[in-house]
Amino acid sequence: MSAARSSGPVHLPTTIVCAGGGGVGKTTTSAALALALARQGHTVLVVTVDPARRLAHAMGVEIDERVQPAHVEPEVEGKLFALMPEPRRSTPTFAEILFEKRPDDLARVMKNPVYLTMADAAASMHEIVSLILIARAVEQQRFDYLVIDTAPSRNALDFVSYPGRLAVLFEGRAVTWLGGLARRVNEGENVKDPGIFAGAQARAEALFARILNPRLLHDLAQLFADLALVKDRFAELARTSEALLLGKDARYVLVAAPTGSAQADVVYLHKRLVKLGQTPVAVILNRSDETLAPWVDVLRKASGGWPALGVALEQVDLEAKARKRAGDRLAAGITKYIADATQVRTPTIEASDPAVIVKRLATALVPHLKTLVGRK
Amino acid sequence: MSDATTSPSAHAPFGPLVLVSGKGGVGKTSIAAGIAEAAARRDGQAMLIEFGDGESGRRVLGRGTKVIHRVVDPKEAMEKAVAHLLGSTLLAKFFLGNFAVRPMLRAAPAIRELAMLECVRLFADEVPGKRVVVDMPATGHGLTWLRLPVQMRDMFASGPIHDLAARIVDRLIAPERTSVVVVTLPERLVVMETVELCRALESEVKLPVSRLVVNRFPAVLSPDAWDQTRALIARGGPEGEAAKELLRVIDARKTAREETLSVLGDLDIGRSFRASLPGKQQGRALTPLLLPESLEDLTAVDVAKWLESQGAA
Repeated sequence: MSAARSSGPVHLPTTIVCAGGGGVGKTTTSAALALALARQGHTVLVVTVDPARRLAHAMGVEIDERVQPAHVEPEVEGKLFALMPEPRRSTPTFAEILFEKRPDDLARVMKNPVYLTMADAAASMHEIVSLILIARAVEQQRFDYLVIDTAPSRNALDFVSYPGRLAVLFEGRAVTWLGGLARRVNEGENVKDPGIFAGAQARAEALFARILNPRLLHDLAQLFADLALVKDRFAELARTSEALLLGKDARYVLVAAPTGSAQADVVYLHKRLVKLGQTPVAVILNRSDETLAPWVDVLRKASGGWPALGVALEQVDLEAKARKRAGDRLAAGITKYIADATQVRTPTIEASDPAVIVKRLATALVPHLKTLVGRK
Repeated sequence: MSDATTSPSAHAPFGPLVLVSGKGGVGKTSIAAGIAEAAARRDGQAMLIEFGDGESGRRVLGRGTKVIHRVVDPKEAMEKAVAHLLGSTLLAKFFLGNFAVRPMLRAAPAIRELAMLECVRLFADEVPGKRVVVDMPATGHGLTWLRLPVQMRDMFASGPIHDLAARIVDRLIAPERTSVVVVTLPERLVVMETVELCRALESEVKLPVSRLVVNRFPAVLSPDAWDQTRALIARGGPEGEAAKELLRVIDARKTAREETLSVLGDLDIGRSFRASLPGKQQGRALTPLLLPESLEDLTAVDVAKWLESQGAA
């Protein structure tokens, strides 16, 4: 895929997509990776599809559909930006972006029961909206890097194909056909049983009429008629996000941790990405300490006569050893299935302030930046 | 379970259907599998229904379980539900293969989600009288999934999709037979979101939350360690610097515990709603269950034993 508007002014940033199962620290890792890049002087936008309010607050941004400057540390002011769209506002946001300059049409769509129900209930709606917001953001502002934190699911990669799917829907004959069918139903034409000799199209129409009712078909037709008004704008945004996600400047980083099904998730996602022609550049293994933190030894020597301190250190030591074992197991397990992927192990970072975790993780990722974002 | 109801602090008994909800990565699968495992240990059989490819459920349940494991595959679900609707698999295949239907269904997933819920209903009917536990998808904290059938039922005033949605509402979202378990993590804002989810479940879906599980609740690192660590920091030097690191760990865990308990402390989810319910579920406050953080991954049997020890199985 070449860039959607190679002649136009849109500069496509290098995109790094972080994918992995739930609870592996994907959101924190994405923020840390973005911070590490910003520290090197790049302009970076980090997008979280499933935003954690705690992290948003720590980065000084609100969860909404605007691109906002993040406030993490002074040296990256003006370099690091965040986009953390609110999942519960996806339905209005989607319509607001597409009907930006058409307030009357927007009002009608926002009253259409089919739109409200379908959009509100569709789990993938939020991912689609996030992609459209990303496409709009890169149109409006120049970024060197875009770091996308996907939803915590194996199906998260489906979103890579959404822009294409939707563009096909809008560009194809389906929309026209549905509009026509609904109009005929409204005008009372017979779309009942067309008989066995009828063409495939007529039979599909009859099945449609059996499943839907006239009122609904009317709303559906109105919705498609309204969407047809903005289909060029939509296709444009969809093509931009497709270029970002599947273009030559896209990189995929898998994130795992020694927990639950993280290893199996990573192996599964790797296979899917290879099929998409996007072999991941690396696997980040979070909470997979390779060595015991040096401060534990220092404190141990000093803890004589401080029994409570000794007990706490024993516990910390025990946990660190268990984490190292789990990290080793995870690393070996991943190597077994994905022999050629570069592994980046990061330590467990405990702090009550999530900003501290992001900053420390960014520091831990700096030596690996070349692997994570360099040439494929 | 019957003796659990006699204890005043015990949790309300589960209905035949248990929906386990919460955001991604909080450990829903372990809790769902644990509830199913506990029911299977007691009743000889139970069912765990999972969305996706079934990998996590299989792993947590392990071998030799009496829990029947069913997986709702998004691709098969549509065909299964449409076949049920049209009364023919062949017609369903033809319909779904139509040039206009296929791209629309691929792009407008609300229908697919309804089809997946229909599959849950069909699976649940395989084991009448046994406990069925559903590991709900994480999207929208599972709330959108539960709102969907009511929305679809009301939007399609009549016809087969209306009937389908109505069947799902009656079977899966009926307060007298469905219990909701919400799983969360010990972080202030996550817990606050969870409280919002509980309220929304009760007001928008009309399902009271019957268990709130805080997963990975951290242990206290030796109660006196904090003071001693502070004393070491005051001395300065390399030990003081090292002590700062330990203090960060101690504080992180202390904060996680305190914030979680303070948010949940004044929690009174749904007492008013429960008051409108018949019999046993009435007027019970929701006591959060704190599942201690563990160094190793918990199996379904571990969680089942813990739930039993809490009178919450």
